[in-house]
Amino acid sequence: MKVLVTGAGGFLGRRIVESLLLQGARQVRVHVRQAPPRGMIEDLQARFPNALIEIAQANLLSRGALGALVNGVDCIVHAAAGMKGAAADMFANTVLTSRNLLEAACEHKVARIVLISSFSVYQAAALKKGDVLSDATTPIEPVGVERGAYGYAKTRQEHMFNEFQREHGFESVILRPGVIYGPGGGALSSRVGIRALGFFFELGGDALLPLTYVENCADAVARAALSAPPGSAFSVVDDDLPTCRAYLKRYRREVEPMRRVPVPFWAFRLGSKGLVWYHKRSKGQLPAVFTPYVVDSMYRPLRYSNEGLKSIGWVQRISTQDGIRTTFSYLKEQMRSKT
Amino acid sequence: MLKIAIVGCGKIADGHVEQIRATGRGEVVAVCDREPLMVEQLAVRMGIPGRYTDAQEMLNHCKPDVVHIATPPESHVALASLALSAGCHVFVEKPFALTASDSRIILDLAKQLGKKVSVNYLYNFEPPGLELEKLLAKNALGEVLHLDTHYGYNLNGDYGLAVMSDPGHWVHRLPGKLFHNVLDHVLAKVVAHIGDDTEVQVLAFRRRPASGDPVLDTLSDELRFLLRSGGTTVTGLISAHGRPVAHTLRVVGTKNTVELDYTARTLVSSVNWSQPSALGRLFPAFVQAKAFGRNGLRNVGLFSRYEYHYFQCMRVLLNRFYDAIEKDAVDPIPPAHILRVCRVIDQLVLGMEAQS
Repeated sequence: MKVLVTGAGGFLGRRIVESLLLQGARQVRVHVRQAPPRGMIEDLQARFPNALIEIAQANLLSRGALGALVNGVDCIVHAAAGMKGAAADMFANTVLTSRNLLEAACEHKVARIVLISSFSVYQAAALKKGDVLSDATTPIEPVGVERGAYGYAKTRQEHMFNEFQREHGFESVILRPGVIYGPGGGALSSRVGIRALGFFFELGGDALLPLTYVENCADAVARAALSAPPGSAFSVVDDDLPTCRAYLKRYRREVEPMRRVPVPFWAFRLGSKGLVWYHKRSKGQLPAVFTPYVVDSMYRPLRYSNEGLKSIGWVQRISTQDGIRTTFSYLKEQMRSKT
Repeated sequence: MLKIAIVGCGKIADGHVEQIRATGRGEVVAVCDREPLMVEQLAVRMGIPGRYTDAQEMLNHCKPDVVHIATPPESHVALASLALSAGCHVFVEKPFALTASDSRIILDLAKQLGKKVSVNYLYNFEPPGLELEKLLAKNALGEVLHLDTHYGYNLNGDYGLAVMSDPGHWVHRLPGKLFHNVLDHVLAKVVAHIGDDTEVQVLAFRRRPASGDPVLDTLSDELRFLLRSGGTTVTGLISAHGRPVAHTLRVVGTKNTVELDYTARTLVSSVNWSQPSALGRLFPAFVQAKAFGRNGLRNVGLFSRYEYHYFQCMRVLLNRFYDAIEKDAVDPIPPAHILRVCRVIDQLVLGMEAQS
């Protein structure tokens, strides 16, 4: 089986390629927008000498020009997505790219397509404190606009993916990772809090932080790509999740000291109402980045299930303790090299 | 209430919708883009009823009073002509057009049809730009001798990365490439002080290492220019590498000199200090500190009155443009200035091409 991984030069994509090879894939096509990260292909080829690793350069925004990218592959793992920038850019780099890829894939009769979606598509605002967010029971947002630019783009992407699946009948698998972390990734998720005015505003409090270490996440993607039943969808989180507060405490101890301002959930929610009021009254002078809907969706203390992943044989390779230790020592080293 | 339609649903369209609504004078009735998904995302996020992929169809159905054109510049002549011919006034994103001759087509057609045209030269309407306008009106600077303008950009920012990671990006097709997309901002601040007899000297070069991609590597990232028109000169520095990223203007007059910082939203006069000896030189820094303090207080006042939005300058410009439409007020950007900006860009592009 030949597997194409889009966005394979990215933080998660390159680990997906590695996990696929570790789990027995022998033919992998590595999609990059320009060139793969230095040494990536040489390293993989040395570690997996029997594998056929191809490089495919393509701009997924080029509609109608992706035939060569998908031609001859049996499975696509679509990991490329717009992660930052203006709302329109994020949408274009997530939804337009997916539409273009899916059109090409359907034209070339690709049998199986795996979409890397996101936790941000879950309709989590309706859940109560302590409820379990689960791929089996939690629906996805109908539109997603209220979740902000990223949530909207990912929600539209997933709905479009399902529309293509219904029309063309390929085998579909969806993975929705929580907070992907690891060396090379971001330092602190906004679920933990935000930096402003020289302080760190601690927003997550005692809520569990739905972490997935990048290699564990990549293992889950590879396992699902190679063996999950068609039509399945999985939340991707690790076991032994820390609370946001515990994660931050360790970050401050092991990476950098920060002056923190704890913000209780009730105060944060009240503040978000005030921010929406001010946003309207001031005609947008301050952006309404935190609305009550966003706060309810992302900051209410919930529990998370990865039972679906375990049912297809996924095992957490790196423990959460080890994952955090490795990530924080990387971040500490990065800070040292900057200074 | 003006009926307004927007053509082009990329990221700048958000700013247009927000500021049109903030003026309280226009209702965005429709959006249009050749890419239906981009139409959908803007309409859904902003709650806009009309969605079109064909501009002519939109004009026929919605009959807007004003059309905002926020597409890449190569389409501006065709779209502006279409909208003007349909009886609409037109507000165009910068760059206004690819060349001076293209800009003349739009301006001439508007004049012939009796319609208003303006362009998003928004920085002249920032708080320091408006203060400069007042100083010039009361001749506080005397004759303008020289203007020195700095404009920085970050190739590692969202926009820079989008351009540098995509050799097919429309910026690479502009005659002046990356600079073409910012020169409007730079020149719009100075064209009121020069004539149409401008001499141009230019130096452009690539400072970053070669990437190996021929399209990307033809892109210069540093530009210096010198303009002279009669007794007035302009120097310009456009830089991808200077830090912090600058956005400033220094206006040297025969009576006084002022320095504008568009990022900090300040305007201060240069200190004219004549006290003798080392003791006398203790004071200017405090005088400057007081001037910056006044700017800070003014900005706090603007913030408290909700007049300090990131795109407040666009709001001021749109209000003046809508005044020109509804009350026959003066054009916020005179057509002659639009044409002069495009003409100087043509000259700068010629200079850059001669070097390469």
